[in-house]
Amino acid sequence: MISLSGRDFLHSWSKFAFTGIGLGLLIGVTLSMAGIYRGMVDDAKVLLNNSGADLWVVQKDTLGPYAESSSIHDDVYRSVLGMPGVAMAANVTYLTMQVRKGNTDVRSMVVGFEPGQPGEPRYLMAGRRFTHSHYEAVADVKTGFNVGDHIRIRRHEYTVVGLTRRMVSSGGDPMVFIPLKDAQEAQFLKDNDAIVNERVRTAGNPAINRPGVPGLLDAINASQAGNHNVNAVLVKVAEGHFPETVAQDILAWRHLQAYTRAQMEEILVAKLIAISAKQIGMFLVILSFVTAAIVAFIIYTMTLGKIREIAVLKLIGTPNRTIAGMILQQALGLGLISFMVGKTVATFLVPIYPRYVLLEPGDAIRGFVAVMVICAIASSLAIHAALKVDPATAIGG
Amino acid sequence: MKIPATLSRKILLAVLGIALLAAFLWVATHSGPLAPIKVTVTKVTKAEINPALFGIGTVEARLDYLIGPTVAGRVRRVLVDVGDSVKTGQLLAEMDPVDLDERVSSTVAAASRARSLVATAEAQVQEVKSRRELAVIEARRYVQLEKQEFVSKSELDTKLQEQKATEAQLAAAEASLSAARKDQSRLEADREGLKQQRAYVRLIAPTDGVITARDAEPGSTVIAGQSVLKLIEPSSLWINVRFDQARSTGLRTGLSAEIELRSLGRTRLAGKVVRMELLSDSVTEERMAHVAFDQLPEGVAIGEMADVKVGLPAIHDVLVIPNASLKLHGTQEGVWLRDDGHLRFAPVKTGSESPDGRIEVLEGLHGGEEVVVYSEQEIKEGSHIEVVASLGGKAK
Amino acid sequence: MDPSIGIQIEGLSKRYGKGLAAVDALKEVNMSVAPGEVVGLIGPSGSGKTTLLKCLGAVVEPTRGRMTLGGEVIYDNGWKISDLRVLRRDRIGFIFQAPYLIPFLDATDNVALLPMLAGKSNAESRTRALELLQALDLTHRAHAETSELSGGEQQRVSIARALANRPPVILADEPTAPLDSERALGVMRILNQMANQYQTAIIVVTHDEKIIPTFKRIYQIRDGRTHEEAGEGREIV
Repeated sequence: MISLSGRDFLHSWSKFAFTGIGLGLLIGVTLSMAGIYRGMVDDAKVLLNNSGADLWVVQKDTLGPYAESSSIHDDVYRSVLGMPGVAMAANVTYLTMQVRKGNTDVRSMVVGFEPGQPGEPRYLMAGRRFTHSHYEAVADVKTGFNVGDHIRIRRHEYTVVGLTRRMVSSGGDPMVFIPLKDAQEAQFLKDNDAIVNERVRTAGNPAINRPGVPGLLDAINASQAGNHNVNAVLVKVAEGHFPETVAQDILAWRHLQAYTRAQMEEILVAKLIAISAKQIGMFLVILSFVTAAIVAFIIYTMTLGKIREIAVLKLIGTPNRTIAGMILQQALGLGLISFMVGKTVATFLVPIYPRYVLLEPGDAIRGFVAVMVICAIASSLAIHAALKVDPATAIGG
Repeated sequence: MKIPATLSRKILLAVLGIALLAAFLWVATHSGPLAPIKVTVTKVTKAEINPALFGIGTVEARLDYLIGPTVAGRVRRVLVDVGDSVKTGQLLAEMDPVDLDERVSSTVAAASRARSLVATAEAQVQEVKSRRELAVIEARRYVQLEKQEFVSKSELDTKLQEQKATEAQLAAAEASLSAARKDQSRLEADREGLKQQRAYVRLIAPTDGVITARDAEPGSTVIAGQSVLKLIEPSSLWINVRFDQARSTGLRTGLSAEIELRSLGRTRLAGKVVRMELLSDSVTEERMAHVAFDQLPEGVAIGEMADVKVGLPAIHDVLVIPNASLKLHGTQEGVWLRDDGHLRFAPVKTGSESPDGRIEVLEGLHGGEEVVVYSEQEIKEGSHIEVVASLGGKAK
Repeated sequence: MDPSIGIQIEGLSKRYGKGLAAVDALKEVNMSVAPGEVVGLIGPSGSGKTTLLKCLGAVVEPTRGRMTLGGEVIYDNGWKISDLRVLRRDRIGFIFQAPYLIPFLDATDNVALLPMLAGKSNAESRTRALELLQALDLTHRAHAETSELSGGEQQRVSIARALANRPPVILADEPTAPLDSERALGVMRILNQMANQYQTAIIVVTHDEKIIPTFKRIYQIRDGRTHEEAGEGREIV
């Protein structure tokens, strides 16, 4: 017995191909959406991995430093370093801001870190690590910067000396790493106009600007211009110690909060990404229904176009199961082509999309199974119509 | 024989199908989690390291002077302005003497009055002296006469008593004279003191230099020690440089330095480390040193920012790796070695670093090993790697 | 099953609907066709000829009567065959007003489809198809797609299809309606030829004046009743 669906496919392959491509684009978008969600979760995981920390010590009662702003003194790290089980402890600052290169601005997360300590980018794609203690930067390639570029962050110009990859904030903004002190200045020091304004206000305050105490005004201005805060202390726990235990010790200080890796992941994924996850989940469901509807419609239309042939086939003795099989095979074949087109399209979409898209093989397999099931179910409408055809209609007119 | 249409179509579609499948498989293995991680490698070789220390600093004047009055007063006139060059001893400003002149006259008068009083006391002493002389002679004569019984004992006693009286009077007169003399010194000292004070009303340049600030205008009241003018010696400009404590090994006086001033763009000036501060900044964890210019450039402003690079002696013939290959594994610093296609982490101990990123290896490597320099992702034991020439990050 | 017996119909009636609205499309139809015979079934539209064809073709159940095919009773006031589809596949051949070929199969496979449905191997089915196409002078068009065949060629392919499983009876529904007289006579010539060659009984429903003279026997049908007549039996040249 020849394959009727196969012969039909060979005969009108262009129709199948176009339909497959069209449907494939839809499936590609669906797979991309799943990939976008996975990408967001991966962004969060990567953010936590790349910091190289086991614990995050932040301001008490905050969910910082990523989900909420947190501010602690920059000498807190010394006390943390002295606690049992702590192998490394270092200050970090995070601030999302515009970084200027020439005439363009790039929205980035500026990270201040101490070289050799948690918080430093763990691998480079090009260039080198810092050798100067100020005004050097390592940037993620997503910023579009190259080694040797001069970029401007707040008041100073930095030279990009190294490039890295996949260093992004949980919001998808690429990171730019600069020395901690420079980052502290950038975060807390205002622009020139604001500083001058502040000085004028202070000078106008008679309690501060006292003639009997020369030098008081200058001292106050100097203290206003200094910054001794950071956003978090990243802790690396020593061999043989549990992060949870060390976190408990730190929590016992009533003025600090400490989160383990698992807790940070929950904060980021459950709280920060939750809404986006719901949106994407909703889209996936809608797209699945749309895909099912389109497949059902296409297969149904194709079948209706063959009603006369189906009546003739039934009359001359073709069993119902052969006819149903033909329709089902066409639907599954369409699903297969569409899926392959969709997966390929999704892969090529990945670098174009502004956020990180992660297409997991597991998702692809699940997507494939889903497409096949949807196609099978969607073909049931057409199969029902085909089975209802009365072979007598082939006779007479 | 004409190939049946069905067959040729089957062939065409089979070809397309295979192409699609191939694209699909290529996609599956070259992207996403199944793809190998691209890395670059380099060999560990011996080379030279030219370490340097980097700090940022501000231009300061080694010597700067605050010119102001020693007592509260009102500024009478200011003779110089910001930017003026002055010479030692030049009158820069003057305070309002107020009643100082009158008080000086008063003390002068008082001193000369004291001088007159001294003259009077001296005269008095002379007078008493002469009376005493007379009384002594008389007393002696009466002693003789009494012996010859020409005068009575009581007459002699009287004369003796007169002699004693004049002695006492002389002592008193001499004491008065001494007091008058002391008074005169006191009043003369007062006079000199006030004259000195009057002199301090004139603000004089203590040294050659340039005026950097004019803090009070004529008519303003200033208190003792408040600045009216600030003066610096321009040749004494140097840079107060801060170095990260962790990156300041080898810093000492005498090392040559390269100075880049913000205002002069990227031109490099030569200098030398002239002083290391004993006191560090424990809050910012920085050490301070002073760097002087070999040749003071024109138009440098105090407070300007400078980037300073201090060159340390070169280190020859040591094992060198790019600092980009240093990675943290747990809490250990080291490199990933490619050994027969396997990845192995080797802890290393590093030494000095060149500004271009090459760093000395003290322990952990022998030379000739292949280390992983750049990677697309973090690598771990058992990571699937693919060695490429470069990862596409372009350098200018 | 005895192929020498042909097809017999006795007292066949078909009623559509119930009660007062009922319509008797067929009333006590009697008919018999011997193997190798080509008879005409002639009547105006609405006479019931289409209904008769459907009953003969086992796609509509008659109300009453008896049908015997090749000696086997297939209907006697109720179907006596369990699987009508198999009956149609193996024992009845259909030729329609239009060729109704499967568009995505070529000429050979359109014909070979029937033996394949009957369980024969693809090779054997195609061999038989090629034999039939050769008999119909279509060897050179054996691998042409349906769309490449002319109307007449398609008609001939459909005749080959109807013969493919060597059914004892072929039902032809207005096979010459769209054709001109030369082609119409050509079709009749082929049908007579095939009927003789394969000893098939052929019933041709028609009202085409051009071919009526070719029948040796005719059944007139009017208002659901049939009436046998002798035909002219003119030779086809």
